[in-house]
Amino acid sequence: MSEEKNYQIVNKEVPRLESWKKASGQAVYTDDIRLPNMAYAALVRSPYSRAKVLSIDVSEAEKVPGYLGCLLPEEVPQEFFNCSGNPPSPLLMKDEQVLTMEPKVLGDRIACVAAETEQAAREAADLVKVEYEELMPYLSISQAMNEKAEPLQPHIAQNDNIIEHRKVSQGDRAVGEAESDIILEDHFVTQPMQHATIELTSCVCDFSDGKHLTVYSTSQTVFQERRIMAEILGMKETDVRFSKPMVGGGFGARQQLHAQHVAALMSKKIGRPVNLSYTREEDLYSVVRHGSDVDLRIGASKDGKLKLFDTTFRLNAGPYTTHTPTVVAAASRKLQYNVPNYFFDGLSVYTDDITGGAFRGYGNTQLTFGREILMDRLAQALNMDPVEFRLMNHVQVGECFPCASIPVSSNGIEECARRCQAIQAEIDAKSPLVDNEDVRQAWGIAFSCHGSGPSNKDGLSGAVVMLNDDATVQLLVGSADIGQGSETMESQIAAECLGIPLSSVKITAADTLTTPYNTGTFGSSQTFICGNSVELACKDLKRKVLDQLKNIYPDSEVVEKEHSYQIHGSEDLELSFEEATRKIMFDLKGGVMIGAGTYKAAACPNPFAVCFVKAEYHKKLNAIRLLDIIEVADVGTPINRMTVAGQLEGGIAQGVGYALYERMEINPRSRRTQASDLLHYRIPQMDDMPQTYVDMVDSYDPYGPHGAKSVGELATVPVAPAIVNAVRHASGQELNSLPLCDKFIILPSRRKEEA
Amino acid sequence: MTDKQYQITLKLNGQTRSFEVEEGETLLHVLRERAGLTGAKKGCDLGECGACTVILDGRAVNSCCVFAVSADGKQVETIEGIGSEEHPHPLQQAFMDAGAIQCGFCTPGMIMAAKALLDRNPHPTREEVRQAMSGNLCRCTGYEKIEQAIAMAAEVVASYAEGKEGDRA
Ligand code: FES
Ligand code: FES
Repeated sequence: MSEEKNYQIVNKEVPRLESWKKASGQAVYTDDIRLPNMAYAALVRSPYSRAKVLSIDVSEAEKVPGYLGCLLPEEVPQEFFNCSGNPPSPLLMKDEQVLTMEPKVLGDRIACVAAETEQAAREAADLVKVEYEELMPYLSISQAMNEKAEPLQPHIAQNDNIIEHRKVSQGDRAVGEAESDIILEDHFVTQPMQHATIELTSCVCDFSDGKHLTVYSTSQTVFQERRIMAEILGMKETDVRFSKPMVGGGFGARQQLHAQHVAALMSKKIGRPVNLSYTREEDLYSVVRHGSDVDLRIGASKDGKLKLFDTTFRLNAGPYTTHTPTVVAAASRKLQYNVPNYFFDGLSVYTDDITGGAFRGYGNTQLTFGREILMDRLAQALNMDPVEFRLMNHVQVGECFPCASIPVSSNGIEECARRCQAIQAEIDAKSPLVDNEDVRQAWGIAFSCHGSGPSNKDGLSGAVVMLNDDATVQLLVGSADIGQGSETMESQIAAECLGIPLSSVKITAADTLTTPYNTGTFGSSQTFICGNSVELACKDLKRKVLDQLKNIYPDSEVVEKEHSYQIHGSEDLELSFEEATRKIMFDLKGGVMIGAGTYKAAACPNPFAVCFVKAEYHKKLNAIRLLDIIEVADVGTPINRMTVAGQLEGGIAQGVGYALYERMEINPRSRRTQASDLLHYRIPQMDDMPQTYVDMVDSYDPYGPHGAKSVGELATVPVAPAIVNAVRHASGQELNSLPLCDKFIILPSRRKEEA
Repeated sequence: MTDKQYQITLKLNGQTRSFEVEEGETLLHVLRERAGLTGAKKGCDLGECGACTVILDGRAVNSCCVFAVSADGKQVETIEGIGSEEHPHPLQQAFMDAGAIQCGFCTPGMIMAAKALLDRNPHPTREEVRQAMSGNLCRCTGYEKIEQAIAMAAEVVASYAEGKEGDRA
């Protein structure tokens, strides 16, 4: 399937271009920016989920030395907006305000205070006295959906708290039931999870003159953020600049506006640039992966053919729509098995819990969790091998996912599974599975897929490549590198296309002032969507170079061959790319060579992954330990093998945290968050990680740049269900919810050579 | 907010530097806001993430948990002081080569924590590495390549110690 290609720069291990800056402490992140005369702002936030503000008194705050001013709800634009960094869509209801008198979740923004230092700003914010009338919050989906519950956003959902009800189906439920010899069902619950990027959410806004706004912030979607900000402030987009500095991780948390609007308005009010940065506690309750509540039934015939997939899929949105309906929609498009009767009933539900937003996996994670557990139970009930059972039902090249319109264009899932099995065999040969009176070890597996770019084909990207006279190029793209390595990868694609060394490409990215539009860094888009635009821009440049040479040598035949130019006619010449460049720039008939490319998603190729987990169960302790995790992916041509491996390893770690202990929600009894710091919101540490093995199979997608598909989100999706399947085999217990620390003691993973 | 100011002197990356600091001010704050060294990062300000790790008199510390006044007179090493682009520290080189850097926000703290370990113990076992680094959180890499990088750097450091490759600049 793979195309024989002799790549020079892609499909190699390439360290990130900005590695030295990061390794030396010179990389500038948002909170490292120091503008002259910069002030600091801090937010006054609601301690209650659902309340009414009765009064706000700033008199004590004003006494803090260094106090500069306060911004109250009545001083800011009142219109509702949707903060999510998606292109406009009727699914994205507008129900959020810059500051509010009616907080709907703990942490809602009430007011903002500015001061000369961050410490003074926080001190003053703490001294702002807000009187509240506390109301009863609806924290769970079932409470909010109860018919007696009051509507939380009456202008969107008058009678119930359902933001959107999405139904997708094919086939006939009764036929599916009749043709199934076995139908298994269960109720699956996953918890909200926080992104916990190590960099805190931060912005520096300069709106000192009240006319031109510049925002430096932790951003994944600078163009969407600019558009929403311009709408909120009633400005032209040309007067709003979003410029992304280095970003310390995103995972979806920065696919939205956070508090840039408040900081901008504060900057205007005090006439100085303003830094507004969150504390870790603020970050933890700012946004989460949606908690889910899922009913799922899967039916199969005796010979193992899937006949029915029927789900009611509910997501806890928190009190603001943000991304929720698009997360639900994305979940409906990730069924990688052939099922003739498919019923997806998706509900986006308002509650007063922490607001759900984008998070690596975007709905796929939640539905795949129950699906892969039920597939495992089905395989067992049918007495089939879990790998073969999945493979025999898997969608093949040329076939469509249920309810999808574009056929799968490349598929290496079987190779992924076989490679996992080979690594598994090596591991078991070294340390055979233990099964004694204390400990039982077992393997569990899961399959997953994702898209390359938003699954609704929203993806759009421009790229510009400008040729310098020494045959180096400036590459301009709007895509945001948030740590995943997209700038290096786009540069590799350009260098490969143009046949020049990687060091000859200088990239500028994600600045609305200077770079072309890009939908944003989300939906695992950048390799595929932006990469395609880069390839098109480079092809455009090459075409222009050739045309210009034909202009210069009008009586000759000019042909390009392997990045050099052969000129036959009155003189016979062969010009290297460098020589041709110089000729073009400085000849009497010279020209400035600028290639432009724009790619609108015509496809959304699915990458695939298989994950195997070896875990052990300690019978007397009711404890579990993860031993080994293997993940092998089909990402098409890996543009940068080092980055792809890093994405797989990082995706595994996030899956481990999700499966074992991470949870961020408001406790119904205390009505406080369960964790306000990283000691209590525990993410995996180095010593927690089991041994990991990652690999990529040989694959090529016809629509991808140099055959590439995506990897970022895919990497984390299969991990939690594979862990649960391993634990169910080891413990003999049926599991249907996360995190596993609710049911088991979690023992630290210990590497075998140290055990 | 206290107005009481203290003068402290640090031996900062080999240079003697004095700062006026407030009573409750942290070493991290001094580095970032007064010394202009933003390589040490603030990921929590609570001693939980390790992004602010620097080396104080030979020991890795979370600089957000060290009062500036208590660092008076001490040696402080930060990421800015351990290597140059021409002569990177072996840990910096290894982190780049191994792909141990993704978003890079944890990187300065990781490298400083690892340097304190290797300075003290040039031949750490994997277990020692994992324990020494467990106070440094990374959300991007899953730690695999960070562990590899530290092992790679340890070999280089050990070979310097044994004089195999001559002196490092
Ligand atoms: S900032 Fe010091 S430990 Fe997190
Ligand atoms: S590289 Fe992003 S936190 Fe470690």
